[in-house]
Amino acid sequence: MSATRAESTATEPPLPDPVVSARSLTKRYGEFAVVEDVTFSLDRGTVTGFLGPNGAGKSTTLRLLLGLAEPTAGEARVFGRRYRELDEPARRVGAVLESNDFDPGRSGRNHLRALALAAEIPPARVEEVLELVGLAEVAHRLAGTYSLGMRQRLGLAGALLGAPELLVLDEPANGLDPAGVHWLRGFLRRLADEGGTVLIASHVLAEVAQTVDQVLIINRGRLVATVRLDELAGRGRTLEETYLELTGRTTL
Amino acid sequence: MTPQLRAELLKLRSTRTNLGLFSAMLGLVLLVVLLHGFAVPAERLSNRVTQLNLVFGWAALLASLFAALLGALSITGEFRHGTIRPTFLVTPRRGRVVLAKVWASMLMGSIFGLIVATVALGVGSAVLATRGVAIRLEGGDAALLLAGCAMAGALWAAIGVGLGAVVRNQVPIVAGICAWLLFVEQLLLGDILGGVGGYMPGALAKAASGLGGDPVIAPGLAVLLLALYAVAAAAAGWVATTRRDVV
Repeated sequence: MSATRAESTATEPPLPDPVVSARSLTKRYGEFAVVEDVTFSLDRGTVTGFLGPNGAGKSTTLRLLLGLAEPTAGEARVFGRRYRELDEPARRVGAVLESNDFDPGRSGRNHLRALALAAEIPPARVEEVLELVGLAEVAHRLAGTYSLGMRQRLGLAGALLGAPELLVLDEPANGLDPAGVHWLRGFLRRLADEGGTVLIASHVLAEVAQTVDQVLIINRGRLVATVRLDELAGRGRTLEETYLELTGRTTL
Repeated sequence: MTPQLRAELLKLRSTRTNLGLFSAMLGLVLLVVLLHGFAVPAERLSNRVTQLNLVFGWAALLASLFAALLGALSITGEFRHGTIRPTFLVTPRRGRVVLAKVWASMLMGSIFGLIVATVALGVGSAVLATRGVAIRLEGGDAALLLAGCAMAGALWAAIGVGLGAVVRNQVPIVAGICAWLLFVEQLLLGDILGGVGGYMPGALAKAASGLGGDPVIAPGLAVLLLALYAVAAAAAGWVATTRRDVV
């Protein structure tokens, strides 16, 4: 019996790395801490909302996760490694940090083709993602002529090029029409149900409440709560009440 | 060819920015070669050196200028429009992006150089022939001008990428490159520094094209020295790009 147990322990695979993990993540500019001692991890198959008032440190945290900025202290990992050390980052992580990251003088299709070339993704996949986000008809047009909603879709198309397991989106519904928001929710849900992981930063509570499994709430650079939405419902609280309480904005 | 280089070559081709630069370069070379070819008195165009320097040699300056702008815009444009974020998300090892931009811009810069030299030689010869001025260029002069402009274009493009990566902001880098090549080096340093002025990167581009200078630097040596400037600028750009955050 004991031998069997020992054997099973020995052959047990090591715990998989969390998809995203931040440990004591800190970013200071001079004396001012934009992100301070933030620790969390995200498991496979979850959609997580990242909530906080403007300037709370959401976008900076995402940049630290994605290797665009270096933390002052602590560390951020995706799939157990620093983002910059990932082998084929576009095939594992897709991200949209700003809704307008295009050269206005380049067509939507060429924008995606350049990204696909760098990521060694075949051009046929560019056409696929254009279809997926509903931009195939306008892909030949210069990105500068796109509406805000079309820009959001183009950004999303770029993030989806490598069919990534992790999607990181900053304010993704900003500028989308109701049909677009509806489509996005369904899309993110399906991605998570298929084992993907999604992190959405937002300050629009209503947009997040209907999409996510859990929320991280950040205020003044510090993570103030990690809340599962089903638990919240069980306690008869709304996300809005919890959020306002934790971010100290009840007396506006 | 690396995936990043393929991507950078597509980026250079897929906006009108470089077509605009190319058209401006062609317009300017036509203007200066025609103006000088027609306006400089025939007796001042009686020998090889003055013909090279007053008519044909403008190609070296224009190749350097537009190649530098092309290189600088290839990276500052990404910061300006925010495409640097998706670029670095796809290729987080940023050194590869800088290197790809250097190679892609050098290729484009050398093409710019070849074309501007070809136009200067063709239009300049036609103008002089129209005026009945005998063309005094010797056998290797035209070949040296073509090769020198191609090298100057390639190396100045690398300088542009490097400086652009350090400065990141488009307006100061464009203004700085124009000011340096058109005013600072031409008008100020030549007088103040005397002989040392010949070792400035703009003067080296001319020396590489066989335009003489003061002191006279052999074209091969000029290319080598200009390459040192290019390596230094690209290295500075590499360091700045890999170490600094992208917001």
